[in-house]
Amino acid sequence: MYATLILAPLLFALTVLISPLRLRNILSIVFVLFLSAVSIGMNLTLHTPVEASLHQLFHPLFILLDTLVLLYFLWQGVVKNSSLVMLLALLQIVLFGIVLSLSAALDSNDILIESTSTVMYLLINIVGGSIIVFALHYIESEAFGRFKKNAFIAILFFFLSVMNFIVSTNNIEIFFLLFELTTLCSYLLIAYRGEGVSVENSLRALWMNQLGGVAILAALIFSILHYDTVHFDILIANIEEVYLLPIVLLAIAAFVKGASIPFDKWLLGAMVAPTPVSAILHSATMVKIAPYLMLKLAPAMNGFVSLSITLLGTFVFFSAALLALGKDYFKEILGYSTIALLGLMMALAALGTPEAIRACLVLLIFHAISKGLLFLQAGILEKNFHLKYVNDINGLINHSPLVVFFITVGFASLTLPPFGAFIGKFMAIESIAAEIAGSPLYLFALIFLALGSVFLTLLYFKVLTKLFAKDMDAEAGNASPHSPTAYAEISKYYTFPSFLLLFLLVAGIYISFEKELLDSMEIIVPLLLIGLVPLLFATLLFKKAHRVKEYNCGEKEQIKLNMYYFHMPRRIKTYIALTATAALVILMAGVVL
Amino acid sequence: MIEVMLILFAPLIGGLMYGFERVLRARMQNRKGPPLLQPFYDMYKLLDKQAFIINPYHTVLGIMHFLTLWTVVAFMIFGQNLLYIIFLHLLSVIFIILAGFSVNSVYSHVGANRELLSALAYEPILIIVAVGFFMMHGSFDISVIRQNSASIVPLFLLFLAFLLLIPLKLKKSPFDAAEAHQEIVGGVEIEFSGVYFEFIYIAKWLEYVFVYLLLVLFAGNNAVLGTVLFLGVFLLVNLVDNATARIKMKHVIQIVLGIALTLGLLNLAGLSYV
Repeated sequence: MYATLILAPLLFALTVLISPLRLRNILSIVFVLFLSAVSIGMNLTLHTPVEASLHQLFHPLFILLDTLVLLYFLWQGVVKNSSLVMLLALLQIVLFGIVLSLSAALDSNDILIESTSTVMYLLINIVGGSIIVFALHYIESEAFGRFKKNAFIAILFFFLSVMNFIVSTNNIEIFFLLFELTTLCSYLLIAYRGEGVSVENSLRALWMNQLGGVAILAALIFSILHYDTVHFDILIANIEEVYLLPIVLLAIAAFVKGASIPFDKWLLGAMVAPTPVSAILHSATMVKIAPYLMLKLAPAMNGFVSLSITLLGTFVFFSAALLALGKDYFKEILGYSTIALLGLMMALAALGTPEAIRACLVLLIFHAISKGLLFLQAGILEKNFHLKYVNDINGLINHSPLVVFFITVGFASLTLPPFGAFIGKFMAIESIAAEIAGSPLYLFALIFLALGSVFLTLLYFKVLTKLFAKDMDAEAGNASPHSPTAYAEISKYYTFPSFLLLFLLVAGIYISFEKELLDSMEIIVPLLLIGLVPLLFATLLFKKAHRVKEYNCGEKEQIKLNMYYFHMPRRIKTYIALTATAALVILMAGVVL
Repeated sequence: MIEVMLILFAPLIGGLMYGFERVLRARMQNRKGPPLLQPFYDMYKLLDKQAFIINPYHTVLGIMHFLTLWTVVAFMIFGQNLLYIIFLHLLSVIFIILAGFSVNSVYSHVGANRELLSALAYEPILIIVAVGFFMMHGSFDISVIRQNSASIVPLFLLFLAFLLLIPLKLKKSPFDAAEAHQEIVGGVEIEFSGVYFEFIYIAKWLEYVFVYLLLVLFAGNNAVLGTVLFLGVFLLVNLVDNATARIKMKHVIQIVLGIALTLGLLNLAGLSYV
């Protein structure tokens, strides 16, 4: 079954590449449904971990692919005149050569599918699939040639295949190849528009992710030299307290992929790409490798490593939330909140208690759904309303209640009971609170978590207030040409995936009900309260009440109120990056010594 | 059964507390003050007023603020998870903030903004107080906290931190910038009127019940200590309210977050060493 999930998207990618428009759209939807069905099947049928070995012939193929990818990076470095990319590609080629020259005696299976993997399958295929459906229409509104448009969809399918593979593999060498392939995909997608900014940002994404590749190769070398293995399960089973270097290097690779501060710039730079790219990078693919890898490594961590990563992760959660408060660009706000939540997920994974791992998984799933939903709305705002900045969204509720509804649900589901991401955060506080008795240093993790989650709530509702605010321009009749027109028609390709993700959120509430993550009262009551809002809107017509203008202490002057911002001096950003870097250095130094 | 009755009468209890507070404050200022039941007379008078609304969103969000706050109090009386209650309370605050922003009124916006900022100041402290209870009793459940003996001595610093929050939450001097009648005419309240203002008014009473129910948690199962704490703090808060002047929102955040967070951290660090 796992082979279907890996190979089918490859085939689909080739098919959509050469299909004409109508056929491509129909086929893509069928493919997405197929992948979703298979991933659900996998999730329901897997009870014990599946192990399998790949045929011997695959290994030379993987080595060939690895070499090709690294050479491609080198070539891009030369062509695009980026010495950093070039140097890192060369370094990777040298290290990869060293890895190939070494041989490991302890052998294990290449494929290992655990329950975490099947959860990831669901995310990748269902959430990722919805975004592909969204992208079908989105990409048609861009001015590119037919082939380039089809290639966009094809790369997205290829991305799904790579992601499905990366969560199934047990071999660090194969993991490295797939890690590089996701880097390649994101590089191609970010550079898709081909203008100056896109190329610049894609190169930044490339070299930052190459750092992660270097870390994995170094981890491989140390793992072969000391533990004599290239397999995750053997490495973790034989781990010695005094030699955690491979684990920490892999954790650093996770930090890079998860765009954790100080590696956050690549994910924020990815905003220049078409919106479905941001959606898929943030929700279903790429960054989700980080918490997944951390979950895999958690059993091998000792007290020091686990504490440092927890502290760093919660620090990232806090600082990314803080930095987001000063932003106005809708996608950037979403980007910072992704960085924040990924930091939290990694912190929880590193904490490693059963409850923390459960919290991490809950966050992983629901963050993907909510972020997918929000990014799709960002795409709709951009395409249908030509809106990118939060301050311009004034009174969207008068123009598209549906989009407002989706955005509200998206933000609410990240903060409020009874949605999954709330439950995740709630469990996070509980599991960190349980650790404080053991080590008071976890207090800092708790403070970061408490402050960070309040900042995020503030941030989300700062954006939401704008949606409900009164539309002064439209009322005064001087609407600018970019202002949304009343009740804009939104394509079904846009609303269908949004409804699908909404359905997943609701299904998530049902599942948390079944699994008793919260008391039944604690789920039902807020659900009723939140459900009451649209109900009251619909039923309370206030017929007897007189409509009046704002009292406003009798002031007659018409006023236009804008959004408030928090001023973030540049130095704060520098301090945060320095602190995070210092934490990573301390982590490395602590393990080496 | 008694719990259901308590929940139903919670707004009335809050109203009595509010009335008593007005009498107490008047006595402190050497005035006679209004009768104890004045808040209820006010309510009755409001019913007679003509109903005005600005827009339905504003009104509905105001009503939701009241309903959610009542639910919060109900959850507290039923002895549910404290941490959960704190987040549910945040939901009620969010409703009133959204309401404040949904009208085009400067005072309402400034008030809602300040409301947001004060949430920023007290939410982390409330979470830390909850963690303090968790470390003492091994559970976030209020029913467990109420069954165990008083934890005010080991949680004394957290108790002090919580004392700082009370004027902020109940909008008393020196931390009443969010309401500040003299400058922003009540902030988010300004655009509510007539029968719809009643919801906001009762929500204010419920806020009293919420805060003092949290306070008596420090007394655990000791009813006498609980009563003493309640009366003592009630007196203290009103004394401070009478004796101090309003300070700026910026300073409110600095003082509350700075002092209360430090106190809370010291307390938790101490607990983890014991």
